Amino acid sequence: MENSVIPITNFQLAFTFILVFITGAISSFLKLGLLKPLIWGTIRSFVQLTLIGYALTYIFQINNLWLIILIITTMCYIASRAAVKRTPNVSDYPTVLAFLSLVASTYLVGTIVTTLIISPDPWYSAQIAIPIFGMILGNSMNGIALSLDRLYLEARARASEIEAMLTFGATPWEAIQTSVREAIGAGMTPTINSLMVVGLVSLPGMMTGQILGGVDPREAVRYQIVVMLMVAAAVAIGCLILVVLSYKRLFNKDGGLQSFVLSSRK
Amino acid sequence: MLFEFKDINYTLGNETKRNIIVSGAVKNGEVLIVRGPSGAGKSTLFRILSRLRPGSGGEAFLMGKSWLQIPSTSWRINVHYLAQKPTLFDGTVAYNLAKPFETRVGGQRKLDKNRAKELMKQLHLSLELWNQDARTVSGGEASRLAFIRALLVDPVVLLLDEPTAALDEPARQALYQVLSGWLKEPNHTALLISHNNDYRQLEQLKYLDIIEPSKRRD
Repeated sequence: MENSVIPITNFQLAFTFILVFITGAISSFLKLGLLKPLIWGTIRSFVQLTLIGYALTYIFQINNLWLIILIITTMCYIASRAAVKRTPNVSDYPTVLAFLSLVASTYLVGTIVTTLIISPDPWYSAQIAIPIFGMILGNSMNGIALSLDRLYLEARARASEIEAMLTFGATPWEAIQTSVREAIGAGMTPTINSLMVVGLVSLPGMMTGQILGGVDPREAVRYQIVVMLMVAAAVAIGCLILVVLSYKRLFNKDGGLQSFVLSSRK
Repeated sequence: MLFEFKDINYTLGNETKRNIIVSGAVKNGEVLIVRGPSGAGKSTLFRILSRLRPGSGGEAFLMGKSWLQIPSTSWRINVHYLAQKPTLFDGTVAYNLAKPFETRVGGQRKLDKNRAKELMKQLHLSLELWNQDARTVSGGEASRLAFIRALLVDPVVLLLDEPTAALDEPARQALYQVLSGWLKEPNHTALLISHNNDYRQLEQLKYLDIIEPSKRRD
């Protein structure tokens, strides 16, 4: 790979204050009350990204499989907590279920990509695995959050349909089929939609990054195709696993709907 | 006894909690009328008996067998609850009538189309409804279709929660006519909630009054 990346010096980086200033000016001019969070956010992004830059350099040098697994699994845990927090219609949800769906989908799809498609040497090369797994994770996290929220929302809205199915002898899984399909669909839709417009409406971040880094756009596109499709697969798997793990929480031991699902009704 | 429940125990109300304990039993062909003021917990009792929600105590028996020994899926078919507000699914009327036979347990039988159409006639429903979108039927039609669907499920015990609330007088009479025919078949019995005493043409009536415990003490 030809490397023609133009480095940004510390001096040049300092000029980003102009950008912060513009954002801050708009915020104070319109009294948005966003000045404090903006400054705090700016400091945090500088610090966090600088630290991660050094950390990644170190991790790439060591390139130890177990360290990589530890890092990716920790990322899955943080993502599962973030996903559960993002579901306004769900309460008392155990993070472990979101964690299991993210671990399963991320590792399955990520391993297929790093062993069969990109196949660096060694296959678990941190430089490939961490960004790839990270991208999968970021998207699956959004997907499962949407699915989970939708599952609870649909179950409440369709409580009488679900109960009618139960009176016909349906198992909880049979009774909640419509809600399950809606929930998985809701998680997958943004990813499928992005497959339609990619390259027309926006150049995805990863591809942009590679192009800025001096990679031939035709090469960057091949990577982007892999990324889009792996994200779609991971989101589908993640949502499916999550919904399968979660739907039983809407039912009691005897297979009737929990009262919190019914409570929104009269 | 075809169906029996003993000391079914449940709590109602959010602020002032009321604890209710009821027992009852019905033989073949009998109808147990469950009476009590609005909010007394009649529908809740039906939901507990059909195992849609748990009570806090008590036991029910179907043909002498405890509900602890029968899986909830087959229990709910045989002790079948028909909610006051009819539930129709997106699809045609025919699709809705076939819905109970979609499940693994219910799917052991098929929809008897001739029987369904016969019941529609008896309940003064036009057969033109058959292929109509269920979302376009009237409230009265919807409640009769849900009643027909409950009969097609062919439970042992039918728990009817105000089945005639949305019906005019001729349709009410037709519904009780059909119900009383169904009750004459072997191993059939019903529990009925009705606020309008419109069930006089039914035979073998028994009564269960649900009264608030505070009143019971007087």
